[in-house]
Amino acid sequence: MSARIKVTDLVKTYGNNEVLKGVDLNVNNNEVVVIIGPSGSGKSTLLRTLNKLEAPTSGSIVVDGVDIADKSVDINKVRENIGMVFQHFNLFNNLSVGDNITLAPLQLGKKDKSAAVQQAQKLLETVGLADKIDQPVNSLSGGQKQRVAIARALAMEPDIMLFDEPTSALDPEMVGDVLQVMKNLASQGMTMIVVTHEMGFAKEVADRVVFVDEGKVQEQGTPEQIFNQPKNARLRDFLNKVLNI
Amino acid sequence: MKKRLRQVFTWLMFLSVFVTCWNLTTTKTQAKTYQIGTDVTYPPFEFANDQNQYVGIDIDLLKAIAKEEGFQVHIKPVGFNAAVQSVQSGQLDGIIAGTTITKERQAKFDFGTPYFKTGVVMAVGKNSAITNLKQLKNKKVALKTGTAAASYANSIKDKYGFKTVTFDDSNSMYQDVKTGNSVACFEDQPVMQYAINQGMDLKIVTKAANTGWYGFGVKKGTNPELIQKFNAGFRKIKQNGTYNKIINKYLGTKQNPAVKGKTFTIGTDVTFPPFEFADKQNKYVGIDIELMQSIAKDQGFKVKIKPLGFNASVQGLQSGQIEGMIAGTSITKDRQKVLDFSEPYFTSGVVMATSDKGDVHNLSQLHGKKVAIKTGTAGAQYANSIKKKYGFKTVTFDDSNNMYQDVLTGNSVACFEDQPVMRYAIKKGTNLKIVTKPALKAPYGFAVKKGENKALLSAFNNGLKDVKANGTYDDIKAKYLGTKKDNNAAVSSNDQDDRSFMGLLKQNKDALLSGFGQTMWLTLVAIFFATIFGILVGLMGVVPIKFCNWLSSTLIYVFRGMPLLVLALFIYTGIPSLTGQKIPAFIAGIITLTCNEGAYIAAFVKGGIEAVDSGQMEAARSLGLPFGKAMRKVILPQGIRIMIPSFINQFIITLKDTSILSIIGILELTQTGKIIIARNLEGFKVWTIIALIYLIVITLLTWLSNWVQRRIKG
Ligand SMILES: Nc1ncnc2c1ncn2[C@@H]1O[C@H](COP(=O)(O)OP(=O)(O)OP(=O)(O)O)[C@@H](O)[C@H]1O
Ligand SMILES: [Mg+2]
Repeated sequence: MSARIKVTDLVKTYGNNEVLKGVDLNVNNNEVVVIIGPSGSGKSTLLRTLNKLEAPTSGSIVVDGVDIADKSVDINKVRENIGMVFQHFNLFNNLSVGDNITLAPLQLGKKDKSAAVQQAQKLLETVGLADKIDQPVNSLSGGQKQRVAIARALAMEPDIMLFDEPTSALDPEMVGDVLQVMKNLASQGMTMIVVTHEMGFAKEVADRVVFVDEGKVQEQGTPEQIFNQPKNARLRDFLNKVLNI
Repeated sequence: MKKRLRQVFTWLMFLSVFVTCWNLTTTKTQAKTYQIGTDVTYPPFEFANDQNQYVGIDIDLLKAIAKEEGFQVHIKPVGFNAAVQSVQSGQLDGIIAGTTITKERQAKFDFGTPYFKTGVVMAVGKNSAITNLKQLKNKKVALKTGTAAASYANSIKDKYGFKTVTFDDSNSMYQDVKTGNSVACFEDQPVMQYAINQGMDLKIVTKAANTGWYGFGVKKGTNPELIQKFNAGFRKIKQNGTYNKIINKYLGTKQNPAVKGKTFTIGTDVTFPPFEFADKQNKYVGIDIELMQSIAKDQGFKVKIKPLGFNASVQGLQSGQIEGMIAGTSITKDRQKVLDFSEPYFTSGVVMATSDKGDVHNLSQLHGKKVAIKTGTAGAQYANSIKKKYGFKTVTFDDSNNMYQDVLTGNSVACFEDQPVMRYAIKKGTNLKIVTKPALKAPYGFAVKKGENKALLSAFNNGLKDVKANGTYDDIKAKYLGTKKDNNAAVSSNDQDDRSFMGLLKQNKDALLSGFGQTMWLTLVAIFFATIFGILVGLMGVVPIKFCNWLSSTLIYVFRGMPLLVLALFIYTGIPSLTGQKIPAFIAGIITLTCNEGAYIAAFVKGGIEAVDSGQMEAARSLGLPFGKAMRKVILPQGIRIMIPSFINQFIITLKDTSILSIIGILELTQTGKIIIARNLEGFKVWTIIALIYLIVITLLTWLSNWVQRRIKG
């Protein structure tokens, strides 16, 4: 079974600031990869290069056999298959909950109106917000917003999902609902790459945990290996900090 | 069938009534056939033509009057002296024979309205360099015995030191000049003019001297009803143009086919009464305007008068926006470098005027004081040339009214202005007085761009000759400067106007409405194009293409950075100079506003888009939406909410900015105000009215803006 995503020697610099310094990472089908690491280490940057929200400075990112760094690749087609969930939800403020979800399928000709609405209703049911379809997004709580955002991403029926700290901006009591939705997704076999500080989630759901620091993958392995037998000194240091508060 | 009968019957009735009327009129006129004596041959007033019919100015005129008044004349060419005696003896009813009205003759004759102004002129060979009497010294001059012209020449021959040769008929006299034996001849102006029109190779070089008027005469105390009819008919043919037609037939210059039927755009000043200004109906009138129109009519071309303002007209000529300019333009050496001038049509001079309560009487009192001048005028030039010598400072204004106001408020102690203009303003109630004699006597000329529109220029010169010959010129001058008869009717009637706010509003309602309409129309059209331009440039500023971003910033920088006034002048006068393509003022105005307001719109469109959280764009793109769709569906709807207050604000600004377009002569509200003030000099009141109109509209727009903003928020 070959890798769905194959990142080789990825470098990303902003001006003089080299944020990613040669990252190698493979993600297999149906795998749940959790990326952890200290703030500013380049986790978000890594995730955002995977759907080219940031263009890589050098190196290659091959998604399902296509090198997305290649200029001739239609990045919009690639993105249709990679859903993304943001820390700050980024719901479209000018649209209702339902329209947020149906916008992309309708605009990209993936579904007709009634099919798109039907799908939106179904997705909202799976994230536990069946009655919110006509609400304006500003009337929702943070946790509700993030679940709508997940539903929105799923509406394009992607088979890869990227999550960038999806629960960091939430009040603690909201976190559980969102994580539950993600667990359900994982159990359905979705290929997922999740940047998170929720170590509990990592331990329980991840197939593999990747530790990123100083723009490099320092260590990776099963949750068991990473959390119980960390080899890298930085990793040990990091775990000490996040687990013993 | 019945209907038919009725129709026939009606027609018969009609016919019988008509025939009766016809009979009545014919019998009536048949009873009134007047016997009129005239000279045997005095071209162009009376002479026998090729078919041996008597024609000429006198004959045609009298016949036209008779027709107008419904009487008949029988003209008898008995010779001048015989005619005079026959009228006195009662054998003839009247005389029309180029008879000059003199005191002696008035003792024996009653004269009708003077119908033709004549005088003695000097003519020289077509290529002669002689232009004035002084050049006649020690030269030979040809005369015709017994004429008024000969006695005039003899009266001045000692003073100018010339010799005379005398001939018995005009033709020999002309030939003597043509062969170069004599350098000049003296002749009655119409007679000379007619000979020249008939192909005589001479030219007239002096103004008419010893001027007098020809009149139609009857024996004193008899036939008052004939004089009444003559006067009534004369008034009519003068009004309906028959008079001019007759004069032009004999004395008119040939119309040049190069100008005939064409329309020329003529620039003029906005506020230079009595030469150009808008009357109560806001129609453009004045000496320049009427002169131009009558010359155009005489020469068979049409004119479109554009009150652009003096400077804009000069620039308009240079850039080819207009073909000619008549704006009280003094002929100066400087101007002759870039303009070709017509023969002078008016002679002016610069006078100094002070407040009528002031005590400045001469130039030396100006030391250390401020003096108001108007840009680009001869007055300004004169003031600048003497300001060092007399040690005064100058303040410059763009129109006369502001200049006068500056003196009236005491800010400046005096102003320099062309004499006729100053006189007219004072007559109209400006509290200034003229304290100096005219200096820098300046001939006014009609101007075209140097080396161009030669046909128009020569048509103007020919037309000027014609309107001088047929009296139109004198009528126009008299109307505005009140030098003759009906003392400035135009002026006095104005003084009885209601000068209250309501009165001014009522009188100028139409003008203000149309100015306001033009302002609104300009605003709407401009905001429409500016919005399109602004959105395009604004979007160029946010697309992920470096070149577009650069272009957008540059356009915004350039058009926001340039003063609107400069931009307007650049587009209106600069572009045509570069491309040779005329731009109508309205289009130039729209382009100006589109660029300037569009740049502001672009800036806030760009800002509005950038103000939308960048996460919105990222989320949309992450779903696979292309940039354009993401922009349209997600970013713009949010950005526009942010922009709407700025849009309405920009609308208000645009409305105000249209006033600047008055500089290129667009007749919007502000320009309308300027023109009304140029006429009635009620600066304070009219500007108050204009300001109120702007304020009312802007208030309404502000309410609208607030209402819209509340709707967006809610
Ligand atoms: N658009 C950008 N321009 C310039 N520098 C950037 C940009 N985005 C990120 N950086 C820099 O790159 C570095 C890595 O940022 P990144 O957001 O990837 O870190 P992170 O690991 O996600 O941190 P956190 O846990 O705080 O989210 C930081 O130093 C950040 O300042
Ligand atoms: Mg991050």
